[in-house]
Amino acid sequence: MDPMLGSPQPRPSHPYKTLIMSKKSRSKLWFLVHSWLALPIWFFVLIVCVTGTLAVISQEIVWLANPQMRASQPEGDAPLLSYDQIIAAIKQAEPQILVESISRPDESHFALDVEVTYPDGRSVVVYVNPYSGVIQGTAPQFNFRAFTRALHGWWLVPFTNGYSWGWYLVSFLSLPLLASLITGLVVYKRFWKGFLRPTLRLRHGARIFWGDFHRLSGIWSIWFIAVISVTSTWFLIEAFMFDNQITISTAPVAPVVPRESVPLTADGSPAPMISLETAIREAKQRIPGLEDSFVSLPANAYSYLSVGGRSWYPLMFHTAEINPYTGDVAVTRLLSDRSGLELVTESMRPLHTGDFGGLWIKLIWFFFGLLLSMMVLSGLLIWTKRTALATANALKRSHKRPRTADAAQATRRDTTEVSQ
Amino acid sequence: MSNAFRPLPAVLLMLCAGFSASALAHNPMCECKAIDAEQIQCTGGFSDGSGAPGVTLDVIGYDETILVPGKLGADSKLTFKKPNAEFYVLFDAGPGHVVEIDQADIQAP
Amino acid sequence: MSLFTAEKPGSRLSRFWHKWRFHINVLLLLVPLGFMPKYFADAALFRGDTGLGEREIGEVQVGPWSLRLAELRNEAPRLDGPAGYMKNFNAALCDSCREQVKATYLRIGKPRSLRAAGVIFFGTPYRMGAMLPIPEKTQADAELWITMEGWDGAMHQASIPLSQASPATLEWLNKQGGKP
Repeated sequence: MDPMLGSPQPRPSHPYKTLIMSKKSRSKLWFLVHSWLALPIWFFVLIVCVTGTLAVISQEIVWLANPQMRASQPEGDAPLLSYDQIIAAIKQAEPQILVESISRPDESHFALDVEVTYPDGRSVVVYVNPYSGVIQGTAPQFNFRAFTRALHGWWLVPFTNGYSWGWYLVSFLSLPLLASLITGLVVYKRFWKGFLRPTLRLRHGARIFWGDFHRLSGIWSIWFIAVISVTSTWFLIEAFMFDNQITISTAPVAPVVPRESVPLTADGSPAPMISLETAIREAKQRIPGLEDSFVSLPANAYSYLSVGGRSWYPLMFHTAEINPYTGDVAVTRLLSDRSGLELVTESMRPLHTGDFGGLWIKLIWFFFGLLLSMMVLSGLLIWTKRTALATANALKRSHKRPRTADAAQATRRDTTEVSQ
Repeated sequence: MSNAFRPLPAVLLMLCAGFSASALAHNPMCECKAIDAEQIQCTGGFSDGSGAPGVTLDVIGYDETILVPGKLGADSKLTFKKPNAEFYVLFDAGPGHVVEIDQADIQAP
Repeated sequence: MSLFTAEKPGSRLSRFWHKWRFHINVLLLLVPLGFMPKYFADAALFRGDTGLGEREIGEVQVGPWSLRLAELRNEAPRLDGPAGYMKNFNAALCDSCREQVKATYLRIGKPRSLRAAGVIFFGTPYRMGAMLPIPEKTQADAELWITMEGWDGAMHQASIPLSQASPATLEWLNKQGGKP
């Protein structure tokens, strides 16, 4: 155990002193690195952890706060409406409205998110009941989910040319986080014992309590800290790659409907499009087992209609681009189309946010996010309590003693103080 | 969000919505240069660094006749013999996704 | 920790620095606070709560049709990496032509053909946007050409001076001295 973290075990005094000393000083070095990693930026790290934790369940928070976002079933077992029926119901309620996309959130207690535009040019998301097609409300101006994500993800720094510097600032924290995990495990020798004999001493003062807490939550969060730091390192790399026009994408060139396959009409009215149900049927024929969790209507006369949903591998989507005039499936993007590298990198974002398996996964991510935030805080408290005292003592004594002796004295005192 | 104006696969838009209010664009680009006295080489691609293999690239006369109909190769490049008539190069990834390069803007070797 | 205590105590100021240097990063919180008004203004802009764009250009007649044009942002073009400088325009089609217009394009200078009509608008007739490349060598007297294509195959074009479409772009062009 590391002596500086308040080890419950007495340190043995061996005759092989030199060996022990070098081992000790090495572990001390590791410890120093560990305690210095997040230190100069602890508050920033803390806020990023807290906002990230909130962002995980932001959709659920909005659901709690805003009843319009809930999908209540009108009668006992009313069936879900098809996307065509949803659009028909919207058109009936507000004939002027134009629908751009419909998406069915993963969790069935959420209403459909429908992107629409109004004749006055507003482009908003409305919440639509999946059973009745009733527009339950408009997403509020203050988008809590987008806000927490923006705060967590790029510190609200706007994107102008490529990624914002806020994105780099936040994702750069992945490096000290990763290093904290590694050095933490090195200084906490035989950490696996902590699983068998969890220690959390409540009655030995705050210093001991926070030390125990830091270690205990640390070992149970190894996997989570690893996931978060590795995925955020990817975000850093991703931004760097994008800004330097490096791509690993194997996706085909963004498809556009060829001019000659868009029909002309004699009377100048828009060419008739296939129904969404037909499009979905065509797509499902091409891709057996395709989920239709979203449809995106063509954004102009030369763009395809897209249908997609999660594949059997919950971290990734299958999509199909369908010619809206003929129903031909023009392009598909399936799990099997991704390169091995893409399978890894495209999994990074869902792994980071915990948004891939419904509410329970999100709650697990939320819990460990909270724990990680508390670890940053407890690490800071340990450091403050130890160093503040040591510094104060050193300052007091420095009036009487030469500096070198004083430093040694302070170190010794520091060590004894924490290892009690 | 402004990224809805790009022809990106819809799934990307869905993932980006709210996640990144950025204008991370994906615009077509094309560059042509004369590699010797006779030949011109054009390279197409998109601003995110991805290539444009198989995309149409036509060499068109000022009178709108297509002098060299072509498609970019697997390396997103196409080399053609410099026409005698006045011309421009049109990188055409579909309606509204074009880049036009006038002969005057093609660098000499 | 020796690393800290070995520091020279020195003056009041340096003592203050040593005591608080690790708290100074609290000031990083000023970054999101400072950007918050911009964030909310942008959110409202994208939702269309503050109109079609930051600066309305007005109604432009294009043959039998017309559209309302706006600059998304009242500012100079933004660089999009190697693709060059880009400027976002938004538009809304007139009530009577919404059903007739198949596609709308923007280009600096008169298009040679429909195929080379420029960038296409995305979105619904109530609110659509296009990202227009602005070559650095664009002349100050350049014109913004709007091409509209009908479902029956008709094509209509109109132009407005770039100085009217985007004064900020013109200022930017003048400032960098119209590269050759």
